[in-house]
Amino acid sequence: MTETEPKPWTKPFPNIDADNEAFWNGLKEHQLLLWTCHTCGAQYWPKAFCIKHENEEFARNMSWQPGSGRGRIFAMNRHHWAFHPGFTDDVPYTYALVELDEGPLISSTIVGEVPESLMAVGTPVRVVYEDHPAEGFSLPRFELVRD
Amino acid sequence: MTGRQRIAVAGLGTVHSAPPGTSQRMMAAEAARRAIADAGLSIRDIDGALDLRRTGGGGDRANYSDVFTRVLGVPAQFYFTVGRGGALAGLATAVATGFLDRGLANYVLCVGAVDDYTKSQATKKKGMRGMAHADKEGYWGKPLGDVRAASHHSWMAARHMAVYGTTSAQLGAISVAERSWACLNPEARMYGRPITVEDHQNSPWVVEPYHLLDVSLVSDGAIAFILTTEERAKDCAQQPVYVQGQGFGEVAAELWWEKRNFTEMAVAPAKAKAFEQAGLSGVQDIDCAQLYDCFTAEVLFQLEDYGWCEKGQGGTFVESGAIGPGGSIPVNTGGGLLSNWHLGDLTGWAEGVTQLRKQAGERQVPDCETVLATGHGGELVSPGMCSIHTSTILGVA
Repeated sequence: MTETEPKPWTKPFPNIDADNEAFWNGLKEHQLLLWTCHTCGAQYWPKAFCIKHENEEFARNMSWQPGSGRGRIFAMNRHHWAFHPGFTDDVPYTYALVELDEGPLISSTIVGEVPESLMAVGTPVRVVYEDHPAEGFSLPRFELVRD
Repeated sequence: MTGRQRIAVAGLGTVHSAPPGTSQRMMAAEAARRAIADAGLSIRDIDGALDLRRTGGGGDRANYSDVFTRVLGVPAQFYFTVGRGGALAGLATAVATGFLDRGLANYVLCVGAVDDYTKSQATKKKGMRGMAHADKEGYWGKPLGDVRAASHHSWMAARHMAVYGTTSAQLGAISVAERSWACLNPEARMYGRPITVEDHQNSPWVVEPYHLLDVSLVSDGAIAFILTTEERAKDCAQQPVYVQGQGFGEVAAELWWEKRNFTEMAVAPAKAKAFEQAGLSGVQDIDCAQLYDCFTAEVLFQLEDYGWCEKGQGGTFVESGAIGPGGSIPVNTGGGLLSNWHLGDLTGWAEGVTQLRKQAGERQVPDCETVLATGHGGELVSPGMCSIHTSTILGVA
C-alpha cells in the first residue's frame, strides 16, 4: 500500500546504519532483501556471518539478495495500548513474528484482514510495502495470503 | 591472593520507597548505607563497588561524577557498571567473585536503583505508557509498533499457547500465586490486595494475550548487597548466605535460527553448571525459587525448563497451586516483580537472602536452606529477545 497523502511521521524512526542501509534501500524498491551466503546459500536477517562454515573477513562471502517476501506467522499479539503517542490511532493493532520461507524471523504488523485468533500460527503471509517518501524510507508490513 | 573460598552475601539493604522526587543516586546511596550497616561493617571497609544498571554503559542514568560511592563516601578501589537488564545480581556476583578470588577486594558493594515509577508518571503526560524502547539504538520494531517489553514478551506467551495449549487463565494462576505471597509481605506494593483468576481474566488487555495482571510493576527504589569471602563473612553481623553455584546461558548462542527461544529460556547450560557446582542433583533440592518474572510466561517457561514439570505442562502445574503459599515449590515468595516491586533480578535475590536468613516473617518458607535465584535480561536481539539467563544457587549450609 502506498500513502497518497503523506502525513508527518510521528512514530519512532527506524535506525538505518552502514550494516543495514542496503536492506532499507531494498524496501524502497519493494524488495525484501536477505543476507545470503555465496558458499551455501543460507539466508539471514539481519546481517550476520554464516554459521554453517568459516567466513571471510566481515562476511565478504555474503551479500543482500531478494527473498520471496513470503512466510508464515510464528507468533502474534494484539496491542491494545499505545506505548508511544505515534501509535494512538493504530490501536488495536496486530503484530506478528513471521518465519520467512528462507528461514529467518522478522516482525511487523498485519494489515488488512487480521486473524481472529492469536493462535493462528502457520498462517501464510506475504510482505507489502508502506512508502514514506518524504521521510526517505519504506516499511514492510504483512498481509494474509488468500489464494 | 586468597584462593578460592566460597563467596558470601554478607549485607543487604533495600529502599522500597523514598520521599517523592528522591534521585536514583540518593536511593542507591541509602540502600548501600543500609547494606553496610546490616553487615556490621563501616563505609571505610568497602573497597570495591559495582553499579547495577538496566542498560550498559551508562544509558538510563549516566552520571559518573555523582554516583552512590561519592554520595556515600565509599573509598572503593574500583567502581564500574554492570548493565544487563534483569540479570544484574547474577552477573555482579560473577564479576565480584573474580576480584574476591584474586584478593583485589575484601568487600564488594553491589547496588541497583530505579526511578521508573516517577519517570512513568512524567512520560505519561507526553502520551507514553511505561518504558518504551522508542529511543533504543538499532531496535528493529520501534517504527513498526513493537515498542515495549510487553510487545515481544507477549508473543512468547502466545507462541507457548499455540504450541502447548497453555491458556490465559493458567497464566493468571501465576499472578494469583504471586499476589498471595505479596499478601503475606507487608512491604509489598500489592499487600492487602488479593486477586482471583477471574480478576486476572477481567483485567484489561495490554498486549493480548497479556492482560494487565500478566505485567510486572513499575517501581522506584534501590537494593544493595555486599559480597565477601566465606572467612570474612563469618565475622559479619548476619548469618552468611553462600553462593553455592552459578551458571549462565545465552539464547543467542545459535543465532536466530534457534526458534525454541520463544517457548523456552536459556536455562539448560545455566542450570547444569549452577547445580553441578552446588552439588545438587535437581530441583527437588531447592526449597524456594526466585524466578525472574517480568511477565507471567517467563515463570511458566522456567518451571518447565528447570524440571519442576514436563515441557508444555507448566499451565497445569501452576493451576494446581504448586507455586503459591502451601504449594510444593514456593516461587517468588515476596510477591515478585508482579506484586512486590520491580528492580530486575535484585528483587528475587533480596527475597532469597531474606528467606535464607529466616527473616521473612509470615511468608517464611520452613527449613529454607537452598534457594534458586534467576535473572533474565540483556540486549534486545532482533527480531526481539532478551538474551541472557542467569542461575544462582544460594544457601546457608
